[in-house]
Amino acid sequence: MIPDLEYIRAIDLNDTLKILDVKNGKVKVLAGGTDIITGLQQGFSRFAKIYKLLDIAQLNELKSISINEDSFEIGAGLTFSEIIANNNIATAYPLLVKAASTIGSVQIRNRATIGGNIINNAPCADSLSPLLVYDASVRIQSNKGAKEVLLKDFLSEAYRTNLEQNEIVTHIILPKILKTYIGDFYKLGRRRGVAISRLSLTVLIKCEKQIIEDLRIAGGAVTPVAMRFTNIEEMGIGKKVSNKLLISLSQEIGRKVLKVTGLRWSSAYKLPVVQQSLYQLLVNVCKKLNGTNVA
Amino acid sequence: MSHKIEFILNGKSVCINTNANRRLLDILREEFQLTGTKEGCSIGECGACTVLMNNKAVNSCLVLAGQVNGSEILTIEGVAKNGLHKLQENFLMAGAIQCGFCTPGVIMSSYALLLENSNPTEEEIKEAIAGNLCRCTGYKQIIKAIKDTIS
Repeated sequence: MIPDLEYIRAIDLNDTLKILDVKNGKVKVLAGGTDIITGLQQGFSRFAKIYKLLDIAQLNELKSISINEDSFEIGAGLTFSEIIANNNIATAYPLLVKAASTIGSVQIRNRATIGGNIINNAPCADSLSPLLVYDASVRIQSNKGAKEVLLKDFLSEAYRTNLEQNEIVTHIILPKILKTYIGDFYKLGRRRGVAISRLSLTVLIKCEKQIIEDLRIAGGAVTPVAMRFTNIEEMGIGKKVSNKLLISLSQEIGRKVLKVTGLRWSSAYKLPVVQQSLYQLLVNVCKKLNGTNVA
Repeated sequence: MSHKIEFILNGKSVCINTNANRRLLDILREEFQLTGTKEGCSIGECGACTVLMNNKAVNSCLVLAGQVNGSEILTIEGVAKNGLHKLQENFLMAGAIQCGFCTPGVIMSSYALLLENSNPTEEEIKEAIAGNLCRCTGYKQIIKAIKDTIS
């Protein structure tokens, strides 16, 4: 059962920031509630000291989408259903939309927000790996002002971010990306639908005459925090696409995951799956590149 | 802490005082005796408690009382207000009901789908009801019942 608590509905963003300032540290911000309410219901320890909820789900200021010259700004309060339904986002950031459409069920996507997915920072959060390959930042606001922080620097450890008690994330900022980038998202769960990720990978490649000019790889659920595999990216950049290269990149991800997580009971199973998944993903993406065949 | 909550329930304005830790599911079943909405897993996985909130399918176990304020809620009782809905009749005809526990939730998910898309494909039907678990009848009859409603 959900413990007794106080519920406050924020009127607008200003009101939210004021309440967060006054009740410093004693109030938990609530949006879609698909993590918090299930957590409270199950008595999860990380939600044990919540006595006040501040509901921001209805704030229109957090639901805006603006297209600037060099970036997209996506409101943190947008639900995954709203993100999937937006044609501008689907055209510019298809991997984000592909990942969003694998999250939970229709019922979950109708409530769960992208901001909530980031703040909750579960290792298996499906929106994080595409956001990381798109070099996303978060806009953070408090009564003292606004700032932008790169998502990769914002995610600190599993289920934690660098958000201060008096701050909220208002928008996600995605730099515009050239049409010449091609990529894909892959999720492995225990079943096809409504599954929690055991592994998710996002790859984005820019190739010119079969030479990799830019390579971005991010993973979720295989490390405690979703992350970019920058050393693997560097191994690939500047090289000619070949089967041999893709195999060596895929082998390297196994070594990297082992380094981050240490040897676990699941390693013997998981590492070959991570390697094979990255290989398949790279092969599929390279097939989409004009005139590049690695098979 | 007690809250005053006003919302539209199956087309009628309603107002109640309730504690903030109660869920929409509790309010429907205990305050309004609308027991067609079932409690299954209580953590948003089984879909038995699915209702429509502002015309979107949601798990009523994941909506807190305060969040309901000002919204429009439709339950299975509202769908069947003027006798059985065509979806319900087709569920009966197709043998898509056995124990019946998942049925209200599946109907609400199907109803939400048909509101948005009057002619869904089989894939779209499967996606719409992916968040509703049925452990006895099986999904084939359920999908057939939904398809029969479209045609």
